[in-house]
Amino acid sequence: MESKITEVYQNAPVEGKETECEKVSKLLDLVIDGEATSEDQHYFNHHIEDCVTCFESHQKQKLLKGLVSGHLKRVIVPESLALSIKAKIQKTL
Amino acid sequence: MSERTGKQLSKEEKDARFEAELLPVLDPLYNFAYRLTLDEDDANDLVQETYLKAYRFFDYFEQGTNAKAWLFRILKNSFINEFRKKSKQPAKVDYSEVEGYYNSEDVEGESGVATTTDMRTESVQDLIGDEVASALNALPVDFRTVIILCDLEGFTYEEMAKILDIPIGTVRSRLHRARNSLKEKLEKYAKSMGYNNNEI
Repeated sequence: MESKITEVYQNAPVEGKETECEKVSKLLDLVIDGEATSEDQHYFNHHIEDCVTCFESHQKQKLLKGLVSGHLKRVIVPESLALSIKAKIQKTL
Repeated sequence: MSERTGKQLSKEEKDARFEAELLPVLDPLYNFAYRLTLDEDDANDLVQETYLKAYRFFDYFEQGTNAKAWLFRILKNSFINEFRKKSKQPAKVDYSEVEGYYNSEDVEGESGVATTTDMRTESVQDLIGDEVASALNALPVDFRTVIILCDLEGFTYEEMAKILDIPIGTVRSRLHRARNSLKEKLEKYAKSMGYNNNEI
């Protein structure tokens, strides 16, 4: 009674599995960015249920995107900027 | 191009429409300008220039369409065409000029990671934010741009292709390379902080 994880690791280098991983790795950015078709998304989800390596790549890529979207500080717009744009526009014919 | 917006508006009407449709984009636009120029004064100038151009071409803007993408496109072009020449930043090679044989391994030197920051005075959130910012700023401007547009501003690949005037395939490959570079820089940081198992 081997655990599922061990089984997956043992199966990982099998011929044919490789190309599936390659396909999934090409879909990775599309999936992360919400640009994958529902068919691709389904294929991707199905694959990472069984493949630890691809599952981990997916986790890492999500984390990376989250670091930018969630942690990069926004700079504060100087208060004078909107006013000065409006003033310049009013002077423009 | 697109058809003009019917009858001539009075200056007051035009100004009111301009402000209502385009000024709400000021915050993301200024942030984009800052991430490109890495200088507050330059960002200020670039944003003003962008709005003035947008005003001159406002008749060609189709009401209700994507104002944010339109302004980002104008700003990106201003940055490339004029601003970069006079920018205080040392000129960097446009990635698109070397695309294809660019080796993502030889990105500029280390960004001098600070390992002595006082954990008591700075929150971990700030630390992470600072580190992400310095890793991002160390990337070539074309890499930085796609990451900002995609991950920070949430543009679609199609919108990015329009903003940058490049095919969607190029958006995808550039984004992929940009993320690899960013990952590499952040992994160095993670290691320097004692996470040595590729946590990022």
